[in-house]
Amino acid sequence: MVKEVYFFTEMGYTAYPQDEARRLGYNNLMFPNEHFSPERAQQLYAMYFDELLYATETGFDGVMINEHHNNPLSMMPSVNVIGAALARTTRKGRIVFLGNVLPIHDNPLRVAEEVAMIDILSGGRVICGFVRGLGQESIATNTNPIYNRERFDEAHDVIIKAWTTPGPFRWEGRHYDYRVVNPWMRPLQKPHPPIWIPGVVSPESVRWAAEHRYPYVALAPPLHVIDEIYDLYDEVAAARGFTPTSEQRGYVIRVSVADTDEKAYEEGRHFFWQLGTSFGVAPRHWLAPPGYMSREAAHSRRQQARVGVTNITPGGPALSYEEAHATYQIVSGNPDTVIEKLKRIIDVVDPGYMVLWGREGLMSHEVAVHGIDLMTREVIPAIKAYQAAPRGSSRSARPAEREPARP
Amino acid sequence: MTAEAAFTEAFVEAAGVRIQLRRGGTGAPLLVLHGELGVPGWLRAYERLARHFTVYVPSLPGFGQSARPDWIVSVRDLAAWVTWFIRDLKLSQPLPVIGSSLGGWVAAEIATMNAGLFTKMVLVGAAGLQPDEGHVWDYFVHSNQEALAQAFYDPAKSPEYARYYGTAWTPEDETQAEGNREMAARLLWKPYMRSHTLPDLLRGIATPTLVVWGREDAIIPLNVGQRYVRAIPGATANVLDRCGHLPEMEQPDAFAQVVLDFLAPHA
Repeated sequence: MVKEVYFFTEMGYTAYPQDEARRLGYNNLMFPNEHFSPERAQQLYAMYFDELLYATETGFDGVMINEHHNNPLSMMPSVNVIGAALARTTRKGRIVFLGNVLPIHDNPLRVAEEVAMIDILSGGRVICGFVRGLGQESIATNTNPIYNRERFDEAHDVIIKAWTTPGPFRWEGRHYDYRVVNPWMRPLQKPHPPIWIPGVVSPESVRWAAEHRYPYVALAPPLHVIDEIYDLYDEVAAARGFTPTSEQRGYVIRVSVADTDEKAYEEGRHFFWQLGTSFGVAPRHWLAPPGYMSREAAHSRRQQARVGVTNITPGGPALSYEEAHATYQIVSGNPDTVIEKLKRIIDVVDPGYMVLWGREGLMSHEVAVHGIDLMTREVIPAIKAYQAAPRGSSRSARPAEREPARP
Repeated sequence: MTAEAAFTEAFVEAAGVRIQLRRGGTGAPLLVLHGELGVPGWLRAYERLARHFTVYVPSLPGFGQSARPDWIVSVRDLAAWVTWFIRDLKLSQPLPVIGSSLGGWVAAEIATMNAGLFTKMVLVGAAGLQPDEGHVWDYFVHSNQEALAQAFYDPAKSPEYARYYGTAWTPEDETQAEGNREMAARLLWKPYMRSHTLPDLLRGIATPTLVVWGREDAIIPLNVGQRYVRAIPGATANVLDRCGHLPEMEQPDAFAQVVLDFLAPHA
């Protein structure tokens, strides 16, 4: 049963010259920042913040935010700064951080302090996600990608301990050392804000989330890899002695909703606003710097490529807009159409939480706001009322996910 | 019998690490420490050197087919392992050493601590120092293929490049190159390809040292070689023309001759 529905946008910096990016062959990490205009960014922030505020006022249960560096994909190079601003500009709804990029921090206690501050500032509305970051994040912040996962684990451990164990105490780890762990600022929610782990397909992340009983939020993957993800989650959970419910499953999906199917389909192209892609274009060795991806994950992705599974997740092979519909990485249509498509996703995933990634690229403010209206008035009530069969029960009955109907 | 065939490749246990070891020739031992790109085979230059020495070319831990122990995380750790390798293989000491790029840095680190291990030391396009001008080329924002092209002055004219890197890479080649890259990142990511303390430590080296550099080295600029020569007491230099970061591959005959001249007499 879908319990809560959040709104998301990457807050793209849409004003960069794409011809220049096309000429260079990439649009991030080393794409010259002379193409950034603070004045233009000021206008874009104003528009995006208006939309996020509107979404929380009209029926979304909150908003999702994230963090990327050196990348016009997103105007959120600090998830905590955006979160702090939202804590005081929104009056209700969750602020879903997906999330803080733990490995790039040399001082994870700063993350513990900032998230605690924002939790207090927002009146306990924070959901705290932790991520490893895209490969480029390691390069942009010069954090050795070899240790990405180790640093993720240890930063997580020190943050949770700082929130749950009375200080002062000492921390002497492999990557982090503290003489005094005793942050004055502690979160309002007890023992701490809910922790969510978003991811693409990396099996280690799924396993790690399950080991910690954290919800795993699938970031708009192809629908047919869902079983692989959550079967693994269930398997690890079983070994740990618990049975996951829908509350351990989140799902992010691109949604373009408009008055007609045709209009929604055309507006949905804005999700592919960066040189015809969703996440932009970069050489593979930026997306996967040395050691960033384990052999197992590399194998998993290779496996996908081998079986012809394209996806529009970072690092995946380029996927056309049309194909993205076929793999359910975007849904578009009038409210009824979108509701039917989301029900199909719900039948497969049975998520407790959905994030409707509802605006992107050069979509106009008016179109975005109208989309929010259609979601809050029609789509959200319908999908919350929808009673899905328990996950897996419909597996044999439903058609092969590889060949979903084209729109 | 062709000279190229006169080597063996085997796995040996050395200092607790299972190591891929190529060796060939006869006579006194000569140790070769490869660079961050690993060593792709029994190079022509090694074959030339093997006419005068027993040449030992281990794939350093984490490179090639050698195991990657968790505890080797720095150049200093690797340097310690190299000294144990020499001991465990019972190579007669002292012995001459050639270190290329990363391997040069390793050799220099050892020489700063131990004047008794090496008779002579050849540093080839050695890493470890910050350039006076320019930067060390950044491997980690480029692909493996781009790195190899950058490492040669003229890859199109290099038989060794053609032999080892010029054909389409197999998935095994890709995996191998990525493994080397991972170990290089572990050792060299930050500070990138340099030590903050090595410049001051070099003055304590008492090992006779030859610094060999490709004039057109586009990975580590020639001025780093000049820094090495200034810093190591009594060091001399030999700069090879029309040559990039891998003289042992790009100018194998000239390289071998320069090294042999320096190491003479060979016993």
